[in-house]
Amino acid sequence: MDVIAVHVDRCVGCKTCELACAVERGSEGKTLLSAVREAPQPQARVRVEGAGGVSFAIQCRHCADAPCLDACLTGALARDAESGLVRVNDDRCIGCWTCVMFCPYGVIFPWPERKLALKCDRCMHMESSACVDSCPTQALEIVNVEKLADAYAEKRRSAAMAASGIGIDGAVHLDLGK
Amino acid sequence: MGRADYDLVVVGGGAAGLNAAFSCRQRFPDKRVLLIDRESEVGYYRTLLPMFMAGNLNEDKLFFWKSGDDENLDTRLGVQVRSLDRAAKCLTLDTGETIGYARLVLACGGYPIVPPVFERAVTPEGVFPVRGLSVAREIKDWLPQRRDIVVLGGGLVGSKTSVFLRLAGFNVTLVEKEAHILPTVLSADTARPLQRHLENMGVQVKTETTIDQFKADADGAVSSVHLATGEWLPCGTFLVGIGSTPDLAFLDGTGLVEDGELVVSPTLQTHDPEIFGVGDAIYIRVAGGDKHNPWTWPQAVNQGKLAGANAFLDSPMPLKRTTRVNAQNIAGVPIMILGGPGVGSSIEARPGPGDGVWREFFMHEGCIVGGALVGDISGAGPLHFTMAGGADVSETTDELLKPRTRAFGALAWTSLGQARRANIISAKGS
Repeated sequence: MDVIAVHVDRCVGCKTCELACAVERGSEGKTLLSAVREAPQPQARVRVEGAGGVSFAIQCRHCADAPCLDACLTGALARDAESGLVRVNDDRCIGCWTCVMFCPYGVIFPWPERKLALKCDRCMHMESSACVDSCPTQALEIVNVEKLADAYAEKRRSAAMAASGIGIDGAVHLDLGK
Repeated sequence: MGRADYDLVVVGGGAAGLNAAFSCRQRFPDKRVLLIDRESEVGYYRTLLPMFMAGNLNEDKLFFWKSGDDENLDTRLGVQVRSLDRAAKCLTLDTGETIGYARLVLACGGYPIVPPVFERAVTPEGVFPVRGLSVAREIKDWLPQRRDIVVLGGGLVGSKTSVFLRLAGFNVTLVEKEAHILPTVLSADTARPLQRHLENMGVQVKTETTIDQFKADADGAVSSVHLATGEWLPCGTFLVGIGSTPDLAFLDGTGLVEDGELVVSPTLQTHDPEIFGVGDAIYIRVAGGDKHNPWTWPQAVNQGKLAGANAFLDSPMPLKRTTRVNAQNIAGVPIMILGGPGVGSSIEARPGPGDGVWREFFMHEGCIVGGALVGDISGAGPLHFTMAGGADVSETTDELLKPRTRAFGALAWTSLGQARRANIISAKGS
């Protein structure tokens, strides 16, 4: 499955991704100038969070065991069989916000004016994702989740090697299968 | 009559029962499952019935499943279970049929509670419980001629029903016997802005009273009801939403029911490990010996899924969360319920800004144990899981109570917290 990943060291917290998402996915005019005049105001499905000098964009993680899917009272939330992504069926959403309450990451956003729960669907029917395309520092990237896991394993391996190399006793490399 | 045998039999086709059947079929594809329900239709969202009866929802949007989709998931609908024989591992239906099981899931739900005033007399027409689809259809057909509605019970079901009916243009009076609406989950301070909102919408709210008499017209339909506080309300439709009593009569003599309650372990097993209990009919004995059940839709789904998965496991898994978390959008005012006040908890509250915004937590030893957000629900999801994780938030309580809070970013701002919130390719400083 392809997911949106982030280079935290590149994110400057400019929120360009929020604007691009709201314009591309939430507005009728599809340009920033027309979107800001629309009512209800277009909303983003990605949010930049930060504290202590660190910031990055967060959006739906499309959890394997997604609490929002179990919580949905109307059948509006469903997993797309082909892509594995969790999506909102606008037609069935009544805006009860139960899914908002059950998202541990806080990345389902209520849009009260439209009575819709908004969440990232990775722009699945578009060629690319609006937030990724718009990021001026290339902090966002679409990656394959399995490849990401491999990259994490590689990182752990090199960290363990480095640790044992500088003589830290008891540093054991646990990624035996890799 | 012969005996039909199944690997798993599920009694009750509500959210809990159906999910038990689905998850068993998914986990153990070779097992044959039978679902029994006393209603003739299953697989619908009970949560949407208030909207449906008010005429705001097409019937096709109610359903999420139709029987016949899976050849190893059989259904017997419109039948009642008469008795359970644990020694012979079988159920007897009211049709005389015998059904054998290897594992049994009891998801039998409950019967709506009838107010005492109707127990003593013949119930007139126009009096309905808010519970199942067949009654919801009757209500939908009945309502257009009888537009003065009294709803008894200011809990979640009663409030939601009142709101949808009011939005559809009916005259609605909501009657609650406690001092404020949603008495089990909200404090009086939190309930106040909500109650005012309901009144501004045109719902009349009568608290600290109940119905003690009624009058019927010449057609035998209810025409007015009398409040214990001394007032007659004109009433062509009387809806009852004061909870349900578990449907456990068929378990008489099985030894599963103690003091009228069906109590299960955190793995959802009764003291017969081959018999599971889920949904509205049960209590879960949690750590410390307390009996608990949130009685919400997400909980019913979770419990059902777990029981279905546990059915054939040698070491069954315990239920992760029993938080009484619920959300509602009461005609534009969002409310999030984190849970009722526990024993010995204190209230931390922050009203406003503005009318209709109120955020409060019930705190115990620095941890959030319950609370509610009214009018501003920012941070609701992370708050729910912060509570469920039992984190000490005494340092940040005030930040978390702030409307439009962004405090959760700060709360989980460790490298682990970051890694949980996003797929991180490269971290700061790496």
